[in-house]
Amino acid sequence: MMKPDMSALETHFGAPAGEDCGLLFDVDDSSMPAMEFPNCPNFDRFQAKTKDMVKNKRGTTTLAFIFDRGVIVAADSRASMGGYISSQTVRKIIEINPYMLGTMAGGAADCQFWHRNLGTKCRLHELANKRRISVTGASKLLANILYSYRGMGLSIGTMIAGWDEKGPGLYYVDSEGARLKGNRFSVGSGSLYAYGILDEGYRFKMSIEEAGELARRAIYHATFRDGASGGCVSVYHVGPDGWTKLSGDDVGELHFQYYPVQKTPVEQEMVDASPSTA
Amino acid sequence: MSIFEYNGSAVVAMVGKNCFAIASDRRLGVQLQTVATDFQRVFKIHDKLYIGLSGLATDAQTLYQRLVFRHKLYQLREERDMKPETFASLVSALLYEKRFGPYFCQPVIAGLGEDNEPFICTMDCIGAKELAKDFVVSGTASESLYGACESMFKPNMEPEELVETISQALLSSVDRDCLSGWGGYVLLLTPTEVQERVLKARMD
Repeated sequence: MMKPDMSALETHFGAPAGEDCGLLFDVDDSSMPAMEFPNCPNFDRFQAKTKDMVKNKRGTTTLAFIFDRGVIVAADSRASMGGYISSQTVRKIIEINPYMLGTMAGGAADCQFWHRNLGTKCRLHELANKRRISVTGASKLLANILYSYRGMGLSIGTMIAGWDEKGPGLYYVDSEGARLKGNRFSVGSGSLYAYGILDEGYRFKMSIEEAGELARRAIYHATFRDGASGGCVSVYHVGPDGWTKLSGDDVGELHFQYYPVQKTPVEQEMVDASPSTA
Repeated sequence: MSIFEYNGSAVVAMVGKNCFAIASDRRLGVQLQTVATDFQRVFKIHDKLYIGLSGLATDAQTLYQRLVFRHKLYQLREERDMKPETFASLVSALLYEKRFGPYFCQPVIAGLGEDNEPFICTMDCIGAKELAKDFVVSGTASESLYGACESMFKPNMEPEELVETISQALLSSVDRDCLSGWGGYVLLLTPTEVQERVLKARMD
């Protein structure tokens, strides 16, 4: 009878038994099947290239802030891959349920899937407990899931905004496992430009229109300065009765609303002169 | 991102009936951040010869200054302007001199030669000339520009139609590129006049 070739199962690591190497079993025992470890010089950076490839796939600008009438959530709509614009019409504000919104930054598939998964869990919570889940609870659910996948290459930088019994709530949750409660957040490659406008114009007491205009202006400014943000600005408001979409404006047109083209004096004279020469 | 994509640029030139048009975007950026929206990329060499320089902005400006210097010397010696074909050879030679430490630019040369025959050409950063009869493109948006020009171009267009075509090709291409856009600049040259236009474009 031919003996099967077991050379692949032979161990190639560890010291002979007897030396103190902290292993739980005798390593020189050739009957113990074992595998070759992959030759990995830096274990913590394993698959880092693949993860980085996913991370940089999208630039974006999203922001959210709490004010006295609720929460404003706003985002651009551009998806970029390096220098190429793959889409100008991406929906980056995800409706988890009628009173909670999530924003998308990072990997699109990751954000869409896990937000939908969060929506499912929130509904199950409602059915099991006969009351709506709080924003604190929902963000904690998501943060715990993301923490358990930490290091595996998920790329999610999201804000969970909603209105529950305690009033407006806003949390920042990301795929590194962070979960931060706050009043103002902006996420993405254009976030620094948006912060510039947002921090300057923010007051706690604002009307809904003023708050919406602040958010729109901040996102517009980020699309102007950041190459990886653009398309349309969507602004949502979350109030005690749930969320409503305040506006969706094309940034190309917004620019000329904020900064109308000034006619030079020569052009103005030509315009004024033409009716009289007819 | 490579060194050619550091500043972002888009340049295109097209040939029409006894005329040509050369157009560029107006953005100057530092990788993803936009720093200026009125940057000049198309430069005049003499009345009937223009050069557009895409790629690294500092090299574009330095290369332009060197070329103007060489052309002025030529004018002093020969007592006339350079023909576009000669100028293209000059640019090519200047770029190849730096073969092992190149200028990170891709020039687009457009001019009216003898008999007002339009001439366009482009070259890579070390001087490989590419002559074309219809259009030439360069910059970060070049792939989109190739597609747009290929579909929109018709031979022997009148000047007005040529300007319209090159503007539409430029704007639709830079709208698919994060690193170029923020306005457009079109220059049309016919045997009798020069027209410059600044295009209203998406500023994102």
